[in-house]
Amino acid sequence: MVPIVVQYTILIKKGNENMKATKVLDAKGLACPMPIVKTKKAIEGLQSGDILEIHATDKGAKNDLAAWVKSTGHELLESTEADGLFKFWIRRG
Amino acid sequence: MSVTVKTAKEIFDQVLNGEELFILDVRNTDDFKDWKIEGKQIKYLNVPYFDLIDGVEEIMDQIPKDKEIIVVCAKEGSSKMVAEMLSDKGLATSYLKGGMKSWSEYLYKKEVYKDDKMTVFQFVRVGKGCLSYMVVSGEEALIVDPSRFTEIYKKAAEDEDVKITHIVDSHLHADHISGGRVLAEETGANYYLMKSEGAVFDFKALENYNKIDFEQVSLEVIAIKTPGHTPGSVSFFVNDKLLFSGDTIFVSGLGRPDLGGKAREWAKDLYDTVYNKVSQITDDVIVLPSHYADFEDEVNRAGYIGETLGEIRKQNEIMSNQSIEDFVEHVAQSASSETPPNFEEIIGINRGVEKAAEEKQQELEIGPNRCAVHHTH
Repeated sequence: MVPIVVQYTILIKKGNENMKATKVLDAKGLACPMPIVKTKKAIEGLQSGDILEIHATDKGAKNDLAAWVKSTGHELLESTEADGLFKFWIRRG
Repeated sequence: MSVTVKTAKEIFDQVLNGEELFILDVRNTDDFKDWKIEGKQIKYLNVPYFDLIDGVEEIMDQIPKDKEIIVVCAKEGSSKMVAEMLSDKGLATSYLKGGMKSWSEYLYKKEVYKDDKMTVFQFVRVGKGCLSYMVVSGEEALIVDPSRFTEIYKKAAEDEDVKITHIVDSHLHADHISGGRVLAEETGANYYLMKSEGAVFDFKALENYNKIDFEQVSLEVIAIKTPGHTPGSVSFFVNDKLLFSGDTIFVSGLGRPDLGGKAREWAKDLYDTVYNKVSQITDDVIVLPSHYADFEDEVNRAGYIGETLGEIRKQNEIMSNQSIEDFVEHVAQSASSETPPNFEEIIGINRGVEKAAEEKQQELEIGPNRCAVHHTH
């Protein structure tokens, strides 16, 4: 098994705030429910305040992540979409 | 217990049989509230799948142990996951193959009328409340308001050993993508649409046809121009027996005139249609609309969506003895709230000014139709 979660750090800008992604989760090519299942597992391994960056290609992931985040107390900081690739940044609550 | 897979057809057959079903819908709450599998005998539980990733223990007390559980989600994946969890708890569980996407695309075929001149079939798109028709006479068939699933009509024509020679759209649809143009290309049939609807591809303008005759049998299709729903809505009056009413008259109400943004103006046209044109048609004519709102409320004893004009008049006070002012007020008010999902893009595709790949078409059509006046809340 190849580990899905890659440990590295990047910086993104949101307004004036610099966000540091603690982990990046590659969920590209995965169909529902796997992007959320993986996201949930990945975020459980983080500390409160840490940021998880998620890459996904499943269109349903957008609504589902937004709804899931609401029900969990985490925060969806930012999401982007380009050429079928969705990126999300979630801060652990 | 093993998990079984159910097709949209199998579930709809169970609904038709009035079976008691328990549906665990694991989509987001908003999606569930907006649109779901309907049935009077269905009990529902909606819990988003992402709340069940760690297990189903927390909802076990809300799930009946003596009934079959059908798990439903948007595309299938999540429902399969949850169904397997329930099955591990020893419950008889199934899930909907292809999810609500396949529910949106299922068509149920039913014979609705037969005499020595013609046989008429109704195609019920159960997930959206859209109706289309095939009129068979001699060796030819005419299709009314086809959905984009053209294979289904071609197969139906093949089953009857007839050729599709004419296709009509009662208006430019706002809630679903018409299959008329593609079906005409595939079959070589004539495709008729009102020119005033603004389509930009080649078709036969209904403005130029008072009648569409086909076969030597006297099957007569008269286009009665019935503005109101959209400026170019028509109805088709067949052999003085059947009225394909498009989105103008439904079994339980009238079409909504507001989707072009000129509700009051169009409501006046609708009044004119109902009071000066439809009023000339006799009570025994069977109205076959292009939509319904609630299958079980509107299905008749013969098992299809349709009703005699006399009965519809009786049940809809708005169709007689109302002043034009009251009528316009009622229609304009009741039709002002919700619109069909993505209706502007769908209209663009149906006009031929926008294009969309199949996946995009599926996406645009997902969700309920909201075309009937009484369908608003």
